[in-house]
Amino acid sequence: MNITEYIELLVTDYTLRTITLGTAILGAICGMLGSFAVLRKQSLLGDAISHASLPGIAIAFLIIGTKNNAILLIGALVSGLIGSFWIRGIIKKTHLKSDTALGLILSLFFGLGMLLLTYIQKLPNANQAGLENYLFGQAATLLESDVWLMAIITGICLFILLIFWKELKLLLFDEDYTKTLGFNTRFLDILITTFIVIAIVLGLQTVGVVLMSAMLLAPAAAARQWTNNLATMIIIAAVFGASSGVIGTAISASSNNLSTGPVIVLIAAIFVLVSFIFSPGRGLLFREIRFRKNRHDLQLHKTLSFMYNIASTHENKSHPHAIKILNNFQGFTKKSLKKLEDKNFITISGNMWSLTTLGYETAANLYNQLTTDPENE
Amino acid sequence: MSNIQIEIQLIACLVAIACAIPGTFLVLRKMALITDAISHSILPGIVLGFFITHDLSSPLLIILAAATGVLTVVLVEFIQKTGLVKEDTAIGLVFPALFSIGVILIAQNANDVHLDIDAVLLGELAFAPFDRILINDTDLGPKSLWTIGIILLVTIILLFTFFKELKISTFDKGLAASLGFSPVLIHYGLMTISSVTTVGAFDAVGAILVIALMIAPAATAYLLTNDLKKMIGLACIFGISAALSGYWIAHLLDTSISGAMTTVLGVIFLAAYLFAPDKGLFTVLYRQKQQRIEVSLLTFLLHIRNHSDDPKECHIDHLNEHINWQKVTSKSVLDLALKNNMIHISDDIISLTPKGKKFTKEAINYIIKEKNTEIEHMKDRFFLFRG
Repeated sequence: MNITEYIELLVTDYTLRTITLGTAILGAICGMLGSFAVLRKQSLLGDAISHASLPGIAIAFLIIGTKNNAILLIGALVSGLIGSFWIRGIIKKTHLKSDTALGLILSLFFGLGMLLLTYIQKLPNANQAGLENYLFGQAATLLESDVWLMAIITGICLFILLIFWKELKLLLFDEDYTKTLGFNTRFLDILITTFIVIAIVLGLQTVGVVLMSAMLLAPAAAARQWTNNLATMIIIAAVFGASSGVIGTAISASSNNLSTGPVIVLIAAIFVLVSFIFSPGRGLLFREIRFRKNRHDLQLHKTLSFMYNIASTHENKSHPHAIKILNNFQGFTKKSLKKLEDKNFITISGNMWSLTTLGYETAANLYNQLTTDPENE
Repeated sequence: MSNIQIEIQLIACLVAIACAIPGTFLVLRKMALITDAISHSILPGIVLGFFITHDLSSPLLIILAAATGVLTVVLVEFIQKTGLVKEDTAIGLVFPALFSIGVILIAQNANDVHLDIDAVLLGELAFAPFDRILINDTDLGPKSLWTIGIILLVTIILLFTFFKELKISTFDKGLAASLGFSPVLIHYGLMTISSVTTVGAFDAVGAILVIALMIAPAATAYLLTNDLKKMIGLACIFGISAALSGYWIAHLLDTSISGAMTTVLGVIFLAAYLFAPDKGLFTVLYRQKQQRIEVSLLTFLLHIRNHSDDPKECHIDHLNEHINWQKVTSKSVLDLALKNNMIHISDDIISLTPKGKKFTKEAINYIIKEKNTEIEHMKDRFFLFRG
């Protein structure tokens, strides 16, 4: 199937259109809210919350007895919130560290959820089929109404985010300062946490409990590499998330036996990988290039300053010296001499080199810097 | 109890102990979430091993899976070292990716593989006794009993051999390095043991319960003691009690055994979280309230001392207005001071008793000299009644 066929199918096929739209919106909201999680160093909170929402789904089902998506999601929301606030309680009131608290809540809530799910499966009630889809997600079960629900909630989140934009931004980068300015950090904290829980709950049906945390983290971690500006980061993260959703859905739709959730997660992971390597500011590739260039420049400067030392013993600064003199100095090669000549720092004639005025001045300044800068002594 | 029931409980107990030991060290080293990562990311290792051997309990499978576990740790550390993201983000990026690869591998070969993701993730202890080792028609017991038994044995031997090294490197990496133990070696040793245990336990109880069995007993024990040996012991006891009672709850309700075990662990943790004598929530809240009142008391006494010659400042009605307390606080502070015989009140004028004078004098000295230490033991000497 080529791309034009796929796009045609996207327009004509109801299911595919719904899933694509759903995963795109999901990716966008996850990227957006995930940025906050990543910047607040709460990356794994998503993992814990997504697992913690399982018993809520089961209990909601036990109470109402039918599969009503909205109500099950409210159950998930409540238990996710309880989980996240218990995590905070453990970190604040005991000496257990955040990793222990997260792991505890994650596994304990999930275990309770499994207990309830297996209990429900044994009940003589035909409605429970499909509850286990929440574990790994089943994008195919998305309905148009679900997509609408996601879109509306995304819109509300975006609106509130814009209202509290200034405060949230401040909170992200300096919590203590925010507090001293008189903002209610507790309220803001609860606001962000609630949003993260909401994003997770929305994704449960599509991506599932287990992979939800990656949806939240990966686009944000990738976007972080491209910018230092919060607004830009959120937008890039949303774009990355939405693209992972759309591309992932397309790939899994074009092949049998490919579940949507894992494919989306892998696409998001590829975004991360590419960003880690190729982003201009922080990426590994450009960092290595910069590193080598710096090292090269340093070598050149060392050669020049060595030459300066020799030349300064002479009255005539441009007096030619034999290249042989440099033999004791490890830092020079033919290439580096050529470079210095290109920069018009030295002139070479035969086996002799001499400093130019420009070269002498540069080296003198270099030398001054080296001796006055305490770090280089 | 039938033989099978006994075997299931035995396996559950062995798994619980085998997890509790490395779990204790992981919790103390603030690496609890590495178990989460390992337990998910060994999936591709298991799947690959299964493709090669077509046997879920082959040793190769355990080796491959454990290798994937260590690979996860290495990858997380590598990503973290690049400085592009923080450690927890690194964990959160690595394991879902590996897990996704595992899930896709299973789904792609679903037809010829009898490997179910649900089983991998959740485990089914109830089936463990049916996969038995038979040599010359002699029944040697369930395979998982042997697997986890051997893993536990190795863990215990390593624990006893390297206890000192583990202890020192857990609490003071620098000291361990200067004494000549390589913290890196111990770190990777612990990671390998955790991976192998996770794989061994995984088969029986599933990925998520492994996390619960590693973290929850150790965390609960940590709320109750600061002694490493006691902590390991307590963690094992909690693990075993959860294993046994979880089995019977699951039996009664006809539900997943691992789910029930985790739930029991949750209840035990909740109890410790709320009621632990020193670090439980109620004790902490009570102590915080007590300290608040005692700090107020100290402020109040110092105020009286500073203004002892000015009857207006020492008038009882003046307190609310001057130290900006509410009526209730003032009354409880005043009562406490009276009970402790620090002040006496005549005609609504407060003055310090000799004991109160001595206390405030010492307190000022203490505050000036030892800014950073707590004043607790001084309070112990002077206070008959605490806040």
